[in-house]
Amino acid sequence: MKKVITGNVAVAYGAMLSDVQVVAAYPITPQTTIIEELASMQAESMADFDYIRVESEHSAMAACIGASMGGARAFTATCGQGLFLMHEMLHYATGARTPVVLANVNRAAAAPWSIWSDQTDSVSQRETGWIQLYCEGNQEVLDTTIMAFKIAETLRLPAMVILDAFFLSHTSEPIEIPDREEVRRFLPVFDPGDLWLDPENPRTFGSICMPNVYMEFRWQIQRDMEKAKGIINDVHEEFGEMFGRRYHQVEGYRTDDADVVMVVSGTVASTGREAIDILREEGKKAGMVKVKTLRPFPREEVIATLKGKKKVAVIDRNFSPGATGIWAQEIKSALYELPEHERPLIYGYIAGLGGRDISVNTIEEIYRKTLRDDRPDDVDIWIGVNYV
Amino acid sequence: MKYTEKQVNVPLCAISTTSGLVNKTGTWKFAEPLFVDRTSPCNQQCPAGEDITGYMYLAGQGRFEEAWRLIMEENPFPAIMGRVCFHTCEEQCNRKDHDEAVSIHTVECFIGDYALSHGLTIPGIQPEKGKKVAIVGAGPGGMSAAYHLKRMGYASTIFDSHQSPGGIMRYGIPSYRLPNTILDGEISRLYDIGIEFNMGVRVGKDITWDSLESQFDAVFIAIGAWEETNLGIGGINTKGIFNALEFLHEINLDKNPKIGKKIAVIGGGNSAIDCARSSRRLGAEVTIVYRRTEKEMPAHPEEIEMAKEEGVQFLFLAAPQGISGNGHITGIKLEKMALGDVDDSGRRRPLPTGETFAIDCDGMIIAIGEATHVPDLPPFISQKRGVVSTDQMGHTDHSKIFAGGDIIDIPHTITHAIGSGKRAAIAIDRFLAGRNLDEEGPDQFRWGENGNVSMGLINGTALFPRRNTSSEVIAHKDMNTFYFDHRPRLEITRVPAKERLQGFQEVVTTPSQEEVVSEAQRCFNCGSCTECGNCYIFCPDSAIKKDPDGYGFISDMDYCKGCGICVNECPRGAMKMKFME
Repeated sequence: MKKVITGNVAVAYGAMLSDVQVVAAYPITPQTTIIEELASMQAESMADFDYIRVESEHSAMAACIGASMGGARAFTATCGQGLFLMHEMLHYATGARTPVVLANVNRAAAAPWSIWSDQTDSVSQRETGWIQLYCEGNQEVLDTTIMAFKIAETLRLPAMVILDAFFLSHTSEPIEIPDREEVRRFLPVFDPGDLWLDPENPRTFGSICMPNVYMEFRWQIQRDMEKAKGIINDVHEEFGEMFGRRYHQVEGYRTDDADVVMVVSGTVASTGREAIDILREEGKKAGMVKVKTLRPFPREEVIATLKGKKKVAVIDRNFSPGATGIWAQEIKSALYELPEHERPLIYGYIAGLGGRDISVNTIEEIYRKTLRDDRPDDVDIWIGVNYV
Repeated sequence: MKYTEKQVNVPLCAISTTSGLVNKTGTWKFAEPLFVDRTSPCNQQCPAGEDITGYMYLAGQGRFEEAWRLIMEENPFPAIMGRVCFHTCEEQCNRKDHDEAVSIHTVECFIGDYALSHGLTIPGIQPEKGKKVAIVGAGPGGMSAAYHLKRMGYASTIFDSHQSPGGIMRYGIPSYRLPNTILDGEISRLYDIGIEFNMGVRVGKDITWDSLESQFDAVFIAIGAWEETNLGIGGINTKGIFNALEFLHEINLDKNPKIGKKIAVIGGGNSAIDCARSSRRLGAEVTIVYRRTEKEMPAHPEEIEMAKEEGVQFLFLAAPQGISGNGHITGIKLEKMALGDVDDSGRRRPLPTGETFAIDCDGMIIAIGEATHVPDLPPFISQKRGVVSTDQMGHTDHSKIFAGGDIIDIPHTITHAIGSGKRAAIAIDRFLAGRNLDEEGPDQFRWGENGNVSMGLINGTALFPRRNTSSEVIAHKDMNTFYFDHRPRLEITRVPAKERLQGFQEVVTTPSQEEVVSEAQRCFNCGSCTECGNCYIFCPDSAIKKDPDGYGFISDMDYCKGCGICVNECPRGAMKMKFME
């Protein structure tokens, strides 16, 4: 069944089709319509979950952790400041090994207030131990929400589905809605195994650990994040088999003979495809790589895709004040181990903060500048800033 | 070994099967929550010292018998009270700052009627103590004292010059406000518990004060105020002029006094309204003549409203100067008044303007206030213009003599009289037991700083347990009213005015049990723990526990971090934080 729906409605469909059992959330633009849509689905008996009203995002995540610990499939959604407020609980969800799924609508950080898109909120959670899945379009949003539950529950690690504010959250696209029974075959009921709050078997989870065992618990998070790379690929594969739509952690687009390869994430990828096609028509050898996962970072796949390229331009819709864009840091770090003759020059570009457009022209400008400059600048180039 | 295959010797998440109680988080705190029952403003306000928050709680659960018993701890006449008390408690109700005050009197009335229709009998009579108390006056004050004394084990003997007990409740209140069946029903219970009534006996004439004093261990005097204040104008002996109580007395004896067709009632109090509304029921045209304006009228606004509905006219800013008529009244000469400065009563005083006018009437009722008939008091008692001086508990300076009701310096209301009877009963009990009441400190048994004393507070009651009672009165701002919905007060339907004027039947209709339960549930139970469990639910350290000894909750200081969430989330203000030393 096809429907014309926004990215936020696509998230709600994903959660509903995943038979989510507990939802706890706090309203915040541009996330709000996700939970509103779920509430409507509940009212129309399309979904059957317990909705917990909370007074903050911090409590929303705490409630989801509790629900997950109780053996339920738990979901929440937020963005921007809400995600920042959740930060403490994000770490906790990982340590407690609760496979909560969170949809984050990328929203710029205050101050000054902005409700528009950039990745500062989610990249700031890089070290929390959450799997981060960035989506290009509304179909990917819906499909990834379903897959996120499977990935998270397989690994018992929490997963974040990330979509750009307004470019996806409030923009409608024709979307294929998967068949409910088929989704149930793909995603069985959450089995918490032995690790849940069973009233018949009272135990405390996550209580205090002495220095002699703490590192062992942390090691398992790291080990399972490494495993996640394979699990995500497996889940992508299985989903593709069942539903015919294939997704990748790292996806190259016309990169084979490219003299400049642009690395993008989120909706910039769809604009990027357009720009690459135009540049190719002009005879320019432009290529693009879309990276879907920031954590775990698909180091091996990035290396395999970019090895031997001359120039790589990383477009970051975020930045780390005093350093560079986050994706550029990750790419540089991954490619450093290549021998010099296979190691591309890496050009960092900051663009599209606070919802500013990254248009086809922006990408062409980045391509031309990268092609022209023999060496990258010492620091990132900020695109489109009105200097005086 | 591959990186992802390396194993460690711990589960995925730290699991503990020992109790978390080893971690005594209570050592962190610098403040601790206390369960404190604060006083509700209504309880402090009630002149009879009733535990309103308590019986509202019980009535809200449909536990009418227990609610009745809780009222009966303080006041033997709930069905009468629900009808005739002017419920100043409702003016203090914290809920008025939320939406509308709780209709306390409606709930009380229903509880009283419930007890009557279910034939409930007075519980908790103590064994005889072998001492006798004489009570002079079978009005609300006297019967209240007799009731409490009897319950405490004293032989109570009442003397009254009237033929039937009730005092002002029988002879001063028209039956459309208080039907005789209700009055007789509640008084008959006092006969049932063995209080002796000697009716038609005037102490001081039929039996001397001295003999009373020598035959009894203590004497309580509550003979009331029956003498109409002198209007101070000429022609007052003209036919067709009545005093208010005289008029109401005759009405209540079904004598149907011949008062005329066009009546003027002088005065602005509740007696004036009673006379005016009664006269309307006798078919007269009625005008209330008052020297100030409606705003200054001491009568209860609801009474004024119902008088208007029944066609009573009002003439404000007019004071009688003289009576017209030879042998029978034909009119009144009046002086036009103006309002001056605020006087001691807090109202603007009436000032003469010199301008006079006249109205026609063939009957006049004087209702400007009543005082005690001084010759009815014992000659040895110290009094000033009929007001007997006593200490705060009703003890006169004559060691065996106690006094209450309208003869002492308290507002002249039935409820105040009932409250004074209870105070005197306690004082008499301590006097006869040879205990020094002042040393016991009656203030600790008061509702709040200014309320009446409470038998429930003195003896404790399992009906609505109170722990760590505090005299602090809880204000609306000190409660967490987020937990209370908004809904309108129960409005009682009045019989249409036209029907009311057909006779002396009761003017308000009885609400359904469901309506009363729902109204009682509107009560915030300010300051009282109702075991709602918010403290228990919200405590992040599971330090709040059900009290193993019974009612309410306790906090386990080994684990309480002193965060104060429980106190904040207590809807009723029945908890508070205390900083530790």
